[in-house]
Amino acid sequence: MTRKMKRAALALAAALLCGALSGCGAEEPAVTETFAMDTVMRFTAYGKNGQAAADAADREVRRLEALLDRTDGDSEVSRVNSGAGAPVTVSGETGRLIQSARTFSEDTGGAFDITIAPVMDAWGFTTDEKHVPDRGTLDSLLPLVDSGTIAVEDRGDTAQVTIGEGQSIDLGGIAKGYASERIEAIFREQGVASALAYLGGNVYAHGEKPDGAPWRVAVQDPQDTDSCTGVLSLRDAYAITSGGYQRYFEQDGQTYHHIIDPATGYPADSGLLSVTIVAPAVGPDGGDGLTGGTMADAFSTALFVMGEERAIDFWRRSGYEFDMVLVTADGRLLVTDGLEKKFERNEDAGYIYEIIR
Amino acid sequence: MRSSVKLHPTRWDAAVAAVILLLAAVTGGAYWSRTLSAGNRLQAVVSADGRELDRVDLTALSAPETRTYSGSGYSLTVEFSAEGVRVASSDCTNQDCVHTGEIHHAGRSIVCLPARISIQLTGGAEDAAVDAVIG
Amino acid sequence: MKLTTRQLTLCAVLTALALGLSYMENFIPLGLLIPLPGIKLGLANIVTIFALYALGPTQAMLILIARCTLGAVFAGNLNALLFSLMGGLSAMLVMIGLSRLRRLSIYGVSMGGAAAHNCGQVAAAMVTLGNAAPLAYLPVLLAVSLLSGTLTGYLAGLLFRALEQTGLMK
Repeated sequence: MTRKMKRAALALAAALLCGALSGCGAEEPAVTETFAMDTVMRFTAYGKNGQAAADAADREVRRLEALLDRTDGDSEVSRVNSGAGAPVTVSGETGRLIQSARTFSEDTGGAFDITIAPVMDAWGFTTDEKHVPDRGTLDSLLPLVDSGTIAVEDRGDTAQVTIGEGQSIDLGGIAKGYASERIEAIFREQGVASALAYLGGNVYAHGEKPDGAPWRVAVQDPQDTDSCTGVLSLRDAYAITSGGYQRYFEQDGQTYHHIIDPATGYPADSGLLSVTIVAPAVGPDGGDGLTGGTMADAFSTALFVMGEERAIDFWRRSGYEFDMVLVTADGRLLVTDGLEKKFERNEDAGYIYEIIR
Repeated sequence: MRSSVKLHPTRWDAAVAAVILLLAAVTGGAYWSRTLSAGNRLQAVVSADGRELDRVDLTALSAPETRTYSGSGYSLTVEFSAEGVRVASSDCTNQDCVHTGEIHHAGRSIVCLPARISIQLTGGAEDAAVDAVIG
Repeated sequence: MKLTTRQLTLCAVLTALALGLSYMENFIPLGLLIPLPGIKLGLANIVTIFALYALGPTQAMLILIARCTLGAVFAGNLNALLFSLMGGLSAMLVMIGLSRLRRLSIYGVSMGGAAAHNCGQVAAAMVTLGNAAPLAYLPVLLAVSLLSGTLTGYLAGLLFRALEQTGLMK
């Protein structure tokens, strides 16, 4: 063959080799770690817009923190709390979030309630001076726990929020869930197909991993924090866990955890050690309000307060779209049937496994 | 016939075969050592404010090692061993990091919020790998 | 390039033969052993080697491209085109090079071709899947190429001897 052909052949061979070698090494994601909303957050995004998406997510959680943190005097929630019974003008976004919280409160029979703030303050959970408040104090504060008095007038870009005099709201129970929903939107806007947002125990899994495998999220065992009850396989889904073991203090030999039952003012004693809610992604059109991160966050606390029976009943009849993993105090691990194929349980954890249909 | 060709195997054919086998061995070896080296070494990654400060290969430790890190005005003393990592002591206000105890599995982390320092384990056995831990 | 009618006919017949071999090897379930999509034994390389020696590299290349294109059209699968072309072209280039080495017999050339064919297939799989996972199969495929190369070489040799007898090869 001619010299020209030989050269062409060599060039092609070299090109093939280069092509093969460049395929070596799995794609590296952009990873951003940040501290916000009183927890550590990690955003992992693949693809050419991965870094831009992770950065946008970082900025978004800071923006939301400034908006919603009630310990920050300049935040919108702070202004709502100083309303003293009169309407306060806030952004439409905050107004709608408060409205969602109100709806969740109604639908869960008050098991989730953002007006619990005064009670939480009495326990010292926000100031880090945790102690058991006296009976009298709690009795005087319980009447203030009532989302029914919240009124939100949505005006598009702005909203008017009115809460009762003496009342105070804390959005800590849905802020991270809402933030993860905003991050879902950011991932879509940036054209990222594969990403994971970890917000201190809240996870949003976007798409699947580049090799086609689902995102694997382990659910911590409440009784052994170094072990897990099982691993969830997630694609386009939220997974949020609430449990008493996450934050607690001890006084006079008794343990008090941070998930207060709005009905009693005391830490919920419902027989559950942890509740994990798994909900589908909202999707590009914003969803119908029956799924998503905000809902999952609210319900993880609400169902913990409700206890096993009420939680299962709620799952069956509420009309909201989600699945759950419950760990009971008497050693059972309950999983709703939507997760039957997506939850790989850890047999060494020693729980009795039941599927709820 | 444009060109003649030998129809019986020669010694040189064996040389070609040997080269191909060598290539097979080399690619096999390269791939094998790559999977062994990259994925499986359990490493502890220490970050402050999201920036990586330190990376310790736990599998290379013959004896426990202690290192100190500071962030946002607080200081943590971290103990690394072949089995895992823990915060031995810290002058932070809530001591959550110390209370976490020792972590052993990839994917788990110890976080000190006041100091904004996180210690995360990565690597380890592939089949046990998870992308995040909630709870 | 001008082809005589005789040459053109021969090319056409060989293309058809290559297509037939290509089609036939689909029935050999290589996928069960080596789970890469579109992986094939490369029996059509018998024709490629034969054409290379009997007709020269230009016509052999022509037959190769015709066979790959038609094969993909018949299969209705564009992905198959990628795999055949990358496998076939790699084999062709290596065999053109090796055929210049007088000391090698048809077996050496054919083994080299088979090895190159497999490298091409792995490269095609990497392009399709978008990652380096198929590289894991390369060592095995290379070892297997010694066998398939020997087989292909033997069959091509048979073809030569048979055709010599008929006097078609002048």
